[in-house]
This record gives sequence, structure tokens and C-alpha cells, in this order.
Amino acid sequence: MRALEELTEVSENLENKYVSDWRNQGKKVVGYVCSYLPEEILYAADILPYRITGKGVKDTSQADSYLTRVNCTFSRCCLELGFSGGFDFLDGAVFINGCDHIRRAYDNWKAHQSALPFMYLLPVPHLINPEGRQWYLEEVVKFKEAIEAYFEVEVIDEKLSEAAAVYNETRRLFKKLYDLRAKDEPPLSGTEVVSILSAAAAMPKKEFNQILSELIEETEASSSKATGKVRLLVAGSLMDDPEFLRNVEDLGAVVVADALCFGAKNFWDLTDESGDVLEALVDRYYNHVPCPRMAGEYSRRFDFVKEQAERAHVDGVILEHIKFCDTHGADNALLKKDFEAAGIPAIELERQYGPLADAGRLRTRAQAFLERIRR
Amino acid sequence: MGTENNSALERIVTNFEMASSLPSDLDLESPAMKAVIDAMPEARRGTFLAMYQDPDVRETSVVFNRSSGNYWRSLLTARDEGKKIVFVPFNFAPEIFHALNMVPVCVEVLTTMAQNLEEGVAEYLDLAVERGLPDTMCSTQRGVIGLFEAGILEKPDLLINGALGSCDPNSKAFEYMAEKFDIPALYLDIPYYHDKRALDYYARGFKNAIKAIEEMTGHKLDPDRLREVVDYTNRATELFFEINELKRNVPNPVPNYYNMQHIGTKFMMVGKPEAVEFYEKALEVSKDRLKKGKHVLPEEKIRVLFIYTFFYFDTSIYSWFQEEMGVSYLMDVLSAFDFNPHIDTSSVDTMLYGLAEEMFNLPMTRQLAGSWDMDSNWLWDSLYYAKTYKADCCVFSGHLACKQAWGVYRLVSDSIKKELGIPCLRLEGDGWDSRITPLAVIREQLEEFFETVV
Ligand code: SF4
Ligand code: SF4
Repeated sequence: MRALEELTEVSENLENKYVSDWRNQGKKVVGYVCSYLPEEILYAADILPYRITGKGVKDTSQADSYLTRVNCTFSRCCLELGFSGGFDFLDGAVFINGCDHIRRAYDNWKAHQSALPFMYLLPVPHLINPEGRQWYLEEVVKFKEAIEAYFEVEVIDEKLSEAAAVYNETRRLFKKLYDLRAKDEPPLSGTEVVSILSAAAAMPKKEFNQILSELIEETEASSSKATGKVRLLVAGSLMDDPEFLRNVEDLGAVVVADALCFGAKNFWDLTDESGDVLEALVDRYYNHVPCPRMAGEYSRRFDFVKEQAERAHVDGVILEHIKFCDTHGADNALLKKDFEAAGIPAIELERQYGPLADAGRLRTRAQAFLERIRR
Repeated sequence: MGTENNSALERIVTNFEMASSLPSDLDLESPAMKAVIDAMPEARRGTFLAMYQDPDVRETSVVFNRSSGNYWRSLLTARDEGKKIVFVPFNFAPEIFHALNMVPVCVEVLTTMAQNLEEGVAEYLDLAVERGLPDTMCSTQRGVIGLFEAGILEKPDLLINGALGSCDPNSKAFEYMAEKFDIPALYLDIPYYHDKRALDYYARGFKNAIKAIEEMTGHKLDPDRLREVVDYTNRATELFFEINELKRNVPNPVPNYYNMQHIGTKFMMVGKPEAVEFYEKALEVSKDRLKKGKHVLPEEKIRVLFIYTFFYFDTSIYSWFQEEMGVSYLMDVLSAFDFNPHIDTSSVDTMLYGLAEEMFNLPMTRQLAGSWDMDSNWLWDSLYYAKTYKADCCVFSGHLACKQAWGVYRLVSDSIKKELGIPCLRLEGDGWDSRITPLAVIREQLEEFFETVV
């Protein structure tokens, strides 16, 4: 599977070869966090959107002296990379006030000598209603203007429409890939899918779409399929490193669906390509499957995870959250109760991201869960 | 509300009634009184002494406890009187509910009150976690969730949360309560910025919330009643501004424990005549102390500003500062309301906008949504309060759930040191759970720090 190998390689390097090629053409790369950032605006400005990660960090001591041990390890790993020059290949960073931890990572990075030349925070409301939508629209327009002014580019509608089409194509391809995962004999492991998702967030979408199409073809033709394994869905805090799933899958399970913010939640909704493109992007990003930061939307979230679980015929659900991630932690407690009530076994796992990841303890708990399901 | 024998609320009311029946000329040295004090559980003894040891504080305590007792009692009879009960966080001002003839309960104050139940609050904090809530969520909402889980607190008719954007654990706790215990809920978003556009957005959200409350509860906003409430609010504001003026004196004549009672009053009773009565008494006592040259004992050695929350599981810490340490507790951010507006009562619109502006400047909303170094945000306020009230040092109590505060504490404290040259101490613990860092340890750390400041 050549395409899979290629994407896995992309996912394993911070500055992967696509980023280098892009930069070698004299073009800009901007990092971003969170699925509420309309990437298409950057893409239309011929800037490569690169989703900020904390992968590969071995120690977070610099970040820990600003963000502290009560801040989630994902935000600390990202900050550590920022502080230590791991993102020096970026020309700027755009954050969202996604949660208390990540917005504080932004504050600390911005105040530090390692801050990138362009640092921007796009504030997103926490409620889905007409006032919130108007606020978000105004902020998206401000963001677009800030990009245009700083990078001396013009983001014209035609380019935006092109970007919207390319991004929609990515989403359609991902849905196809997830259809394959949902089959009785899934041809890909969850671990592999996390690498694919992670590559998608770190390279130009046009090239990515081409490789993903190849991968889908290769996968359809492939004869190596997972059989006789416990089928799982995973949902919860940010996950862009495959270790956690590898650990679980090594125990005789296969993750066939997810509701992660790098995963299904990020690509399930399409942008309407028929009307005003900026309005359509605002609608798409504002109304997409809501994250736990959005208040009063719990039932929509539950419905989405349940729909994903049902279409992939899962035997159980893993609800993971990174320690101190209260948005996902509180949601997971509710999801567990509601999944169990719906007759689908569920487990909550508190984990760490990066160097603190505690594989042994998690394995034991995951194993006990799998035994419970198998019985 | 609450008919079970072990109803938490009934027992809280009984406690207050007992406390409020005490006269201000109480003789703490009498053998009978000594026996009563000795028999109290430790935390309650601490609170009792904080309220009654100093004769001046005793005077304000009598007024505060009487009005609080009445207030909590009104909760027990609310349903019979056709009034709906609403639970809110501390950054949702109570006035609008007084105007709607509903009874608001500040969840954080309720957990603080529950500290004085015979069994304490720890088992309820734990029960909430045993039943699913992550232990990293804030204990001050967790206490109430635990009381629900234990079945000793009746559900309110409505939950309203206004912490969105300023504190994730707080807003998630409300959503959790709503979903788990099936209570209708409304939310109010706090924008990231603190300018006119942001206030307008917030005020629109506030108005929409009121409309939704009217629809959900059947309670209607009566303009005359609203004006009456806002008049009381304005009067209370004038009074606590005057008290704050007195705090600028060196030494500071305002008793330390005033801050605790100020929080209780502001978060529950502002907009009612009882709040005005309390502030009048506190002002009278403070003025009298100024005249007589009274201050913390043996002399004012240190003026401290707590830059966010304080410790609520044993309020004897106020009297320890006051009676033994010579530490003047200027305020904490939860009891600092210098940016409370005077509300224009000319129309319903101006009053609602004024109330929204008041809420927009409440603790947490004002300082912890948005970036730490924006105008009117956390650093700005810390510098303002430290300068205005002549603090010698600052303390961050380090409540573990306040991740948004922890996340920029270092930036804020470094800047305070740089701009004002005053040191900042970072403690670590839990404001409502004494088991995380016991009071004895907190006292030790504070003592050490104060020595370096002197
Ligand atoms: S994992 Fe949770 S706490 Fe960490 S940045 Fe994401 S949402 Fe925030
Ligand atoms: S700001 Fe801190 S004390 Fe206040 S509700 Fe949030 S976590 Fe709790």
C-alpha cells in the first residue's frame, strides 16, 4: 500500500516534505488549532494551513513553567514545540479560544520570544444562535482582512470557491474511507486511519486528495482485512498520535469509527457550494458537529457519536479524555451513561498526551473492557 | 423546597437561623458559650469565630446572618408561593430574578454554605466523582452536584449558566447538571473582548435569556418592580463604593471578614432591601473603626490582595489575619467590584443594559475571558487593585480547577513584580475541599511568605 506508506511518513515528521516543497516555492505556511478555523481562507490566499500538533515532544519542561501541570498535556506539548523552535518553519499561527488550555497556550506563546511573526486568535462564540453566527461572521471577515493585510494577498471569491471545492472533495473521500472502515471486514486499522487524518492536516489538500483516492483504490483491492476482532468507536479529546489506538488494537480490537475533532467531526459536514462562498463557509464551520465547548448542544453530540457507532456496527465505545480536559471529560461522563442506556458498552479512559502517556495502565483497563464485551 | 428530614437546604436554613438569633453583645468568654464553641466541628468553629470574635464584625454578622437566614428560608417556601427557583453561577447577577419574582441560588454560595452541614461537604464532592464527574472539575459546583446525587437537594426549575468563555469547568458543570438530572437550562455567552461591540453582544444575549426565562417559567418582568430592584442595586453600589474608599486608608479600618459577607450579599441579595441594610451596617461599622483608629491586630503589617479566589472551607483564615497576623485582607477578585456601573433607570431598556454591564464586569467574566493582558482583563485589574488599595503583596490561592488562571499566572505575577515591584505568592490547593491542602499548611506557607514581605 504505497499511498498509506506515504501518508504515514507525512504524519511522522513535523516539517514533512510537502511543507518543505511548499516553502521552497517561496510560499507561506500558517499553523492553526481547532476545527472552527475556516482553513479555506488560508488556502485561497495560497498559504498552506498546517494543523498545530504536539507530536514527538519528549519533555515539556519549558512549557510547564508557563502552562502548568493542571493544563492538559496536549496544550503543553504544542507550547513546548512553539517555545523550542519546533514550528520555526511556520510563518504564523492562528488559534481559536477553543478551551481554557489552548487559549492560554496561545497567550504564553504570543508573550514569549519564540512567538511567530504573525500570531492571531479568532474568537468563536460558545452558543449556536443568530447572534453568535453574526459575531462569528464578523470575526471571520476580520481574520480574512488580517491575513490579507499581513501577507499582502487578496482573498478573492473565486479562489475561495476553489478552496471550498477542494476541501469538500477531501471530506467526500474521507466519508468513502469511513464507509470501508465500517464494513464487516475493515481493511484499515484505527491506528492507520489516525496517521492518515494527521497527514491530511499537514499537507496541501489537492495533493492529499490525490493520494487518498489512490489509497481508497488500494484498500478496496486489498485482501488484508481484520476479522474476528472487537469493533470499537473512539471519541473524546484531541488525538493525532496513533499510539493510544495502537495500544488498544494490539489487544485484539479494531477501531472502525470515531467522533474525534481530527476525524469524523472534522469532515462530516460539507460546505454549500451554491451560494455566497464566505457565508457558506461561515455556516459550515459554525454549524458543524458541535464540540463540547459549545453549550447546550449535548444531544446533537450524542446523536452524532451514536450515528457513527451504529453505521459501523461497533461492539463498544471508548470515550477518552486527556487529563484536565474538562470539556471532553464532562461530556464523556454523560456519553457513557447514555451509551450504556442504549445498550452499547462504553468505557471512559483518562489519558495523557505525549511524553506522559501511561500505556501500561490504559492497557489493563482497555483489556478488562474488551473482556467485558466479548463475554 | 426540600421536604426530606435530611434536606440540605433545611439544615442550612436552620444553621443560619441559629446564627442570626445570636445577639451582638454575645459573651464569648462565658462558660456556656465556651462549651458551645468547643462542641462545634472544627470548620464551623472557625467560621463562627470569624463572624463573632471581633465585636465590630459581630455587628455586621448579626445583620448579614438575619438577612441570609430569611433569604434561604424564602427558598423553602418559594414553591408554595408560586415562585420558580433558578440556580446560577456567581457571575450571573441575581437582580433580574428578584425583578421576575423568582428565587436565584448561586451554586458556589450554596456549596460554601454546605460546608457547615454536620457532615461537611467532602462526601458530596466525592459522590459526584464516583457517579461520573471528572475530579478535575471545580469543587464549588461539584458540591451541589453531589447533593443532587445524594438526593438531599431538590432540583431547581431552571439552570442558567453565564460562564461560557471564562471558565470551562463551570459551564460544563451546568451542562452536566442539566443533562444528568434533567433540568431545563439556558446559557449566556461571554465574548472574548471587553469593548462596546462585545458588551452589546453580551447585552443582547442577556435580553434573549430573559425572554426565554419568561417563556419557560411564566414569570413576567414588571417594569416598576425592575426599577425598584435596580434602585436597591444602585444604593448598594454606592454603599460598597464608600466602603472601598475606606479601604484605601493605611491602616485599613474595614474588617477582613467584610469581604466574605460582601460576596454572599452581592451574589445573592443585591437588588433587595436586605443588601442595602447590610452595606449600611458595614459602612457604619467601618467608619466608626476609622474614627477610633481600629484595624487589624496587633498593627497593620501587611496589606494583601488575593488576585483571584480565596479559601472557603474554613473562613477562620480571615480572623487569623485580623486578630493575630496583622494582615489586612484588602480584597480578592471575587469581592472586587470597582467597575460596577450606576444603572440608568429611565427605561426598561436602560435598566437591562445596565444590568448586563454590571454582569459584564463581574469576577471571572471580566478578568478571565479574553487575553490576560487586554485592557480590563486579569493583569490590568490586578495592577489596578494592587495600586489603588496599596497592596504590599499579592497571593494566588491556586485553586486547582481554575486552569485558565493557572495557565497565565506566571505572566501575570511576573508583570506585577515588574510594574509594581511587589511579590506574588502562588499557593496550590482547593478553595472548597480542605483535603487537598489543609489549612495548617496554607497558614504555614503564608506565614513564611509574609515574613519575606515584611
Ligand atoms: S485536549 Fe481538551 S483541554 Fe486539551 S486543548 Fe483539547 S479541548 Fe482543550
Ligand atoms: S474560575 Fe475557578 S473557582 Fe471559578 S468556577 Fe472556574 S474553576 Fe471554579
